[in-house]
Amino acid sequence: MFKKTLITCILVMFSLGTISAAFASEGPNGNKRKGKYTYRKVVKACFERGEVDSATPKISPADKKQAEWKAIFEEKNFGEFGCAQDWAALNEKDVLDIYSYLYNFAADSPTPATCK
Amino acid sequence: MGKKKINYRKQIFGSILVIIFAALIIPGAFASKQVSGNEEALGIKLAKQAVRANKRWTTTDHAKIEILKQDFKSGDEITQACLSCHTDASMQFKETIHWTWEVPSEKEGIMNGKAGHAINNFCISGNNMEDKGCLSCHAGWNGTKGEVNCLACHGSEKFNYKEAFEDLNAFEGDDDPDTLEITKEIQAGIQSAVSKITMPQRENCGECHFKGGGGDGVKHGDLDTSMAQPNKNLDVHMAAEGANFACTRCHTTVRHNIAGRLYTRPAAAERKSLIDDDMASKITCESCHSNLPHKKADSKMNDHTDKVACQSCHIPEFARVNPTKMWWDWTKAGDLKDGKPYVVKGEFNKPTYKSIKGEFRWEKNVMPEYFWYNGSFSNIGIKDEIDPASIVEVSHPLGDKNDPDSRIAPFKIHRGKQPYDKIYKRMVAPLLSGPNGYWTTFDMNDAITRGNKTLDVDYSGEFDYVETTYAFPITHMVAPEEKALDCNECHIRENSRLANITGIYLPGRDRSNFIDSIGLIAVLGAFAGVMLHGFGRFFTRNGKEE
Repeated sequence: MFKKTLITCILVMFSLGTISAAFASEGPNGNKRKGKYTYRKVVKACFERGEVDSATPKISPADKKQAEWKAIFEEKNFGEFGCAQDWAALNEKDVLDIYSYLYNFAADSPTPATCK
Repeated sequence: MGKKKINYRKQIFGSILVIIFAALIIPGAFASKQVSGNEEALGIKLAKQAVRANKRWTTTDHAKIEILKQDFKSGDEITQACLSCHTDASMQFKETIHWTWEVPSEKEGIMNGKAGHAINNFCISGNNMEDKGCLSCHAGWNGTKGEVNCLACHGSEKFNYKEAFEDLNAFEGDDDPDTLEITKEIQAGIQSAVSKITMPQRENCGECHFKGGGGDGVKHGDLDTSMAQPNKNLDVHMAAEGANFACTRCHTTVRHNIAGRLYTRPAAAERKSLIDDDMASKITCESCHSNLPHKKADSKMNDHTDKVACQSCHIPEFARVNPTKMWWDWTKAGDLKDGKPYVVKGEFNKPTYKSIKGEFRWEKNVMPEYFWYNGSFSNIGIKDEIDPASIVEVSHPLGDKNDPDSRIAPFKIHRGKQPYDKIYKRMVAPLLSGPNGYWTTFDMNDAITRGNKTLDVDYSGEFDYVETTYAFPITHMVAPEEKALDCNECHIRENSRLANITGIYLPGRDRSNFIDSIGLIAVLGAFAGVMLHGFGRFFTRNGKEE
């Protein structure tokens, strides 16, 4: 009886822990790896049209904190990136992927992006 | 009034003298101007002969090599492709210090080098290559495991292979059309970078040597990213409008061993010029410029070359474009804000404080410090006993005024405070990066325990901090001739650059009553002699016309 109760308690605690961890995560849940390449693709296309100076993104994830990225993507305020035409052409999933990439490698994230 | 008698004989004689004088002096003056206008210092002439225009060419276009056009899944696969032609390259490279990071020591049980018992006063130790933070500068795909990364030195395109292979592995098995497109792009990027093979360029060497110690200009005072494209004022050898040398022009290579390494042994065993031996290395100034480098063989400056290193006069300051780190205080590390590490930036937009590393000081246009130097250094390693009551010279130039191989040479002295073992009185090697390193735990005692263990060195469990110095030779950033030091930078009573070079007589800086007395006696003696001679002639009317 005691064994059954103990196992039940452990399972309940594990389930509660997992569910609360999932809800506690405030970050976006897109594909950050794909987001990195989509972000680069946007800038590259924009560069090829001559709208920006470099084919490499000038704004790095570590240039802002997570809260700043959150504000930008919640308000869909992409003006700072330039390349308005390319941003407008992105679908919701691509935007979410880019958001996930920038958010997860922000300056105050556990793994801020470096130039390497 | 009586007419004055003109002495024609005297006038004619005088005129002839003036004409002869003019005939001799005037063409002589013009001739000497012409010579000095065209004259080039012997050292420059020799150097130009030794290193004519770069005439390297290649018979291989790597973009046409089939084996390099495959879809690579790892760095090791790229190296295997390289080795299919360059069969012995990896074997050779793995025997060099660039791979081993070790130098055998004459002391029993000691191995010098980053991966050995050596320490410094920057990030302190490589912890037997256990500190993964250091390994980003190791020329392997996966630290010391696996194959050599040939492209670290021979790739002309900067490409993030680590990221590319990580992403390829992560995308494997994903059939999403977007992912497949991304995968294709990554492979195209790898193949493009792999096909661009070169002799090592400044950017290849500079990726580690400009940024040693964890950032641009941290370690060396004379090597930073400003040397990637210096102008002639910064470096006459590497400037595009100067000699436009790549690093490999002086740092020549034999079986992938690159000349220039100096530690417990000098960079060159003998001071030889290419005239003495056409197989001599090009690593010293004398190699190309000879030991009589200045204009006119009897130039006073040429008298200096047996005692003063060329660099002492020709590199008046270092860090002339970018700042270099001069002070690193580990005692201040570990301060947190809201439980998190932070960074403070100061002058030059450089960090003056980092929670993970402590306090720093940066300087620009730094005047070197000068020491006798025979080309090698004394070192304090993790097994050496220290005196914590005094400043510990972790690395210091060796040399002596009586040693014919020693010269007075310039150095950057990096000062700082770092931990040592209070009981065993030895320096310690804290582990810094990784999940258990100091940069994560901020527990120095634990970091030392773990770090010393990687080197199999006992730790008492008690530490404190001691002030240390670390010397770097200053040998790059050679300024143009006109910016070389004036004599009175050293030969001056007050504030001589060589104030700390004692035990020698340096004219202008030093005085000796004995020598001063002899000089005074000589001057007075000459004056008395002239006076006596003059009076003698006057009173004996010698030479007077009758």
